[in-house]
Amino acid sequence: MHILVCIKQILDPEISSQHFQVDRGGKKAVQGDAALVINPFDENATEVALQLKDRQKESIVTVLTLGQEPSDKALRRALSMGCDEAIWLKDPNFEGLDSFATAMIIAKGISHAAHVDLILCGRQAGDWDMGQVGTLIAEELSLPCVSTVFSIDFEEDKLLLRKEAEKGVEVWEARIPMVATITSASSNQSRLPTTKGILSSTRRKITVWSAQDLRISEIPPRRLVVEDLMVAHYGRETKIIEGENGQEKGAKLAQHLVQIKVI
Amino acid sequence: MPAILAVAVLRDGVLSTPTREILGMARRIAEQSGDQVATALIGAGVSSFAQELIASGTDVVYGSEKDPLREFHTNLYGEILEHIAEKAKPDIVIFPGETTVMDLAPRLAFRLGAGLVTDCIDFEIQSGRLLLTKPVYGGKALAKMRAATPRIVVTVRPRSQAPLARDPRRKGELIMVEVPTQPRVPDLVLVRRVAEEKEEGNLEDARVVVSGGRGIGGAEGFQELRQLAKILDGALGATRAAVDAGWTPPSSQVGQTGKIVAPDIYFAIALSGSSQHLAGMTGSKVIVAINRDPDAPIFRAANVGVVDDYRNVLTGLVGELEKILSK
Repeated sequence: MHILVCIKQILDPEISSQHFQVDRGGKKAVQGDAALVINPFDENATEVALQLKDRQKESIVTVLTLGQEPSDKALRRALSMGCDEAIWLKDPNFEGLDSFATAMIIAKGISHAAHVDLILCGRQAGDWDMGQVGTLIAEELSLPCVSTVFSIDFEEDKLLLRKEAEKGVEVWEARIPMVATITSASSNQSRLPTTKGILSSTRRKITVWSAQDLRISEIPPRRLVVEDLMVAHYGRETKIIEGENGQEKGAKLAQHLVQIKVI
Repeated sequence: MPAILAVAVLRDGVLSTPTREILGMARRIAEQSGDQVATALIGAGVSSFAQELIASGTDVVYGSEKDPLREFHTNLYGEILEHIAEKAKPDIVIFPGETTVMDLAPRLAFRLGAGLVTDCIDFEIQSGRLLLTKPVYGGKALAKMRAATPRIVVTVRPRSQAPLARDPRRKGELIMVEVPTQPRVPDLVLVRRVAEEKEEGNLEDARVVVSGGRGIGGAEGFQELRQLAKILDGALGATRAAVDAGWTPPSSQVGQTGKIVAPDIYFAIALSGSSQHLAGMTGSKVIVAINRDPDAPIFRAANVGVVDDYRNVLTGLVGELEKILSK
């Protein structure tokens, strides 16, 4: 089986709110000291792919990204985790894209690659939190798609996908080729790169495809306009409960909650 | 012709609460724009819900029913919806932000050539244009967006919009729509639903939510939180870190990618207050933070804070509450 995982390099979403700033004019976050990382849900997707490969050794896992420098760092990391091939869709025109243009270009990239059976994407990227690209890739390629999947099993010629649903878990059956978007779960926390993986990943060749390689002559215009971007404020005035020790503070907290009539 | 189309979702045989919320939103947009509100309702036996949809704010209900629709199928539903959109010619399509219809919104937007804003929490109309507010960067920022296309598709975060009071005197009409039998994209088969080991109490409806994070240290620690939730008749919540560690089931996750809650009291225990968690609970009336680290960001979002080891604080809190509540 050929599994292709779409990953995106984003600003580390773990950066604390205090250090988070936006460029209101440019309508984007300021990088500051924050690192660039693989979108966490894309790491979960990579892990799901590698677990399938662990069970079916002949499977090939290709990792694909669309982005400018230094997106190759994200690809190298995925290679060092155990992915086999890496594709970088890179072109000066691939800038400022919306979800629709992104999905169109990735779909062209997938069609340009060797036959793909299973396409995995993170459920959403931790920058714009749109959660659209995975389903749009499926739409571009006329493939079925299951969202918020956290684990996949392969059974003969079909896949069993466990999906987080409104209530509990749903198990869906699908035939390849198909698309799944992956959510985080205890079972798909991403493995760490091994030293051997890191060493060999630096020597691996990354396939780079431009708009011309993919025969894309025109980038579709954005379907949305961002009018404003501002930092969210959640601040409240905080009353700190004092006391001799934790237990006393706990008792005083109970009394305070009764006093302010919430209990 | 109606210019707003709301997509209704049935859950356990009734209209879902988020459906009522988007109907309220659609009505409020319509009041300013003078448009009609249409609702698409797909499923089995749906015509019986038409009156209820009309009472909740709809002018025209487009219904589609047939036996295969008893179970939700994204691709078939998508095609019916596309068909309804051709008839209703909406400028704005609104979906409730529920996982069941998560895949439908992008597919429909694609087919309508429309822009798509997901997870909206607010809207305004500026010089006749719909402007939508959406949390981004894991809730650390808010973006205001509008369509660059003539049409727009929107998904709305549950609990962010108020439903309308039902008015049984409201008038409207029901139009039944024929169903295509074979979707263009092959459909998938739902093999089974696995009822998850479920926490006591419904997180989204609970008056009290007791949540724990990484600092709880393990599944055992959550037992103490359950005890507090139990005596206050509340529900247990958790951060993504705690869920990913396998200490509590995924259904307990509160945050940007989990449940959005707004209880009267929210206990945030041994959790630092990542913005993606805050995005799921800042609508709470009173937020109580218990954390060893006085610099934890959660304290800035809290009304009441206790700086200490959560175990000792819980012992004192639970003991005192039992005393107070037994009176």
